[in-house]
Amino acid sequence: MGATVKTIERKGSSLIERLYLIEIFKGMATTFGHLWRNLADNRRLYVRHYPEVQPEIPVRWRGRHRLTTHPDNTVKCVACFMCQTNCPANCIMIEAGERLDGKAEKMPVKFNIDLLECIYCGYCVEACPVDAIRMDTGIFSVTGNKKESFVLGLEELLTTPGAFSEEEYKKGGA
Amino acid sequence: MADKIKLFVNGVEVEVEAGKNLIDAVGAVGIEIPHLCYHPALGADGNCRMCLVGIEDGRPPLVPACKTPAQEGMKVLLDAEHIKKIQHDVMEFELINHPTDCPVCDQAGECKLQDYYMSYDHAKSRMNVPQVVKGKKMDFGAGVVHDQERCVVCGRCVRFCRQITKTGELGIINRTDDARVNIFPGRPLANRYAINVVDLCPVGAMTSKDFRFKQRVWFLKKAPGICHGCSKGCNITIDHNREKYKDDIIYRFRPRLNEQVNGYFMCDEGRLSYKKENEGRLTEARLGTKVRPIDDVLAACSKEMEQAAKIAILLSPNCSLEQMVTVQALAEKIGAALSGYSEGYIKTGDGDDYLIQDDKSANRAGLNLLGIDSSKEGFEKAVQEASLLLNFNNDLTLSYQENELTKLLKDTKIVAVAAAANQCTAMADMAIPVASFSEYAGTLINCDNILQHFAKAITKNEDLADICTIAARLGSPLQNDNERYSVLQKCISALKEFGVDQIPAEGLNLKKSEAANVTA
Repeated sequence: MGATVKTIERKGSSLIERLYLIEIFKGMATTFGHLWRNLADNRRLYVRHYPEVQPEIPVRWRGRHRLTTHPDNTVKCVACFMCQTNCPANCIMIEAGERLDGKAEKMPVKFNIDLLECIYCGYCVEACPVDAIRMDTGIFSVTGNKKESFVLGLEELLTTPGAFSEEEYKKGGA
Repeated sequence: MADKIKLFVNGVEVEVEAGKNLIDAVGAVGIEIPHLCYHPALGADGNCRMCLVGIEDGRPPLVPACKTPAQEGMKVLLDAEHIKKIQHDVMEFELINHPTDCPVCDQAGECKLQDYYMSYDHAKSRMNVPQVVKGKKMDFGAGVVHDQERCVVCGRCVRFCRQITKTGELGIINRTDDARVNIFPGRPLANRYAINVVDLCPVGAMTSKDFRFKQRVWFLKKAPGICHGCSKGCNITIDHNREKYKDDIIYRFRPRLNEQVNGYFMCDEGRLSYKKENEGRLTEARLGTKVRPIDDVLAACSKEMEQAAKIAILLSPNCSLEQMVTVQALAEKIGAALSGYSEGYIKTGDGDDYLIQDDKSANRAGLNLLGIDSSKEGFEKAVQEASLLLNFNNDLTLSYQENELTKLLKDTKIVAVAAAANQCTAMADMAIPVASFSEYAGTLINCDNILQHFAKAITKNEDLADICTIAARLGSPLQNDNERYSVLQKCISALKEFGVDQIPAEGLNLKKSEAANVTA
């Protein structure tokens, strides 16, 4: 397959262009045209009205993580360390312990995700054998004022709800 | 050397050792025959049928390799279609009632079922009937947890308890798909080698309560080492890991094969002695009651040594030979009385005729070989004459009651150079932390006069100096490892032909005549 070559004419060599000021005023006219128009009526603005209007997050968008729960609100995770093993950023730190409620033998005692190190690749979600970790919270902006506040713990991961219904999530390809 | 014979595997000629079965013989040259129930220490049982191979000499089409001695000119078939089919079928059979709970199973990563599934099966289960429900998380005692559903009924654990410990706590009860390993009611595993069944179990049916859920095995780094729990000096694998933001921690000891010393096994006490490497360590140098940098404490110690009229030095029988010669040289230079008194390390009657020894120190033979006095009278005389006692990692509380010790040492200044924080370091005037045996390299002589060398396994975030370095800084003439080793070579004639890297991995058996030929 040969590449299509398109020759672009080099601008800036005509007399009017070389006079410089005329082109400046033409540019200013465009800029101020936009300014006045948007000041009068900003509905047709080309940028997103963030944060008043939140972006629409599709189901497959990889947002901040959460840990899913059984219907009785107990953690689904069995602390198999597959996500930690698979994590290319090495940002998941789990500590496992004995589970006594009969749902499994093992559960996480600590489950920390360092969001500053996370690269949001979604490998943890893919690796999970029990669908315990998802990135379907729709949260795309994480803020904090100290480094430690970016480390999510078990509690925080469990209490964040998913942003989509189960059917929508499954339809999204999960 | 054993005799060599030639045989053919898949038509390729290989030279193997004679007198072994097919699994071991071709396994030694890197050809794996899958097997679950066979273990070299327990002998062939022939119950798992995983090692079935074909031999082209008019025998039945399939023979178990574990029960077949390797013979000259044998034509072994491993890659024929009917062999592959039987391997696949046996694996499918083993997995019928397997719960496949690998995510919560500690064996995952070192599990033969996982390995063989990937190599020989790789198919979906065709079963559509409910699996047989059996006991899970059963406490078998002695720190062994059993899961009957994961079990492949190979009987290695049962044979271990019958053949090796001769205690016979375990048995296989019921038949067919209801067969399971169990203890007799009210009679749990009660032998001092019980956790070996965890290593023996090819699947996750036997797991260690101590190691349970601590780490996934693929995170663990494996380093060879020597157990310092008793004078047997069992060869071990030190499994350790440095988790993110944390220190290098040992998670378990496992026995490492050494036919000359411990075979395939080790005792539970030694296995759990890894905890002493992680916990209760002396980490900070102390001068009086104040925590000070180690250099300050060493300087104060040197000053104290100059001023003292008479110095006594006490050595631990756990020290390596290198450490012993360095301290010995220091004692000779400053004219100090050197003692290795450590009666408390010997627990009379605790040993057995297998691996466990009465003497809980790793290198008493080395102490004796170097001619270091270890008599009680010698030590007490030296302490009473001396105004300063340098204690190199000897836990005196094992040998003395607390009040006896205070009485004996009341007029003596004590410098404790120790790895563990204990009563001895607490009563010392100065305390200097040193590396423990997983953190330095050294040479030991065990109770059977076998000399073994071990390398440094663990590097802590803040690595502590070992006794050699401390003794050298206190003025020992032996300043580096080469000097120490050449002194050792002078003392032990068997070492003359070996460099420090050339000491055989299985250890060097010092003959009695050589042990007597001591010049030090």
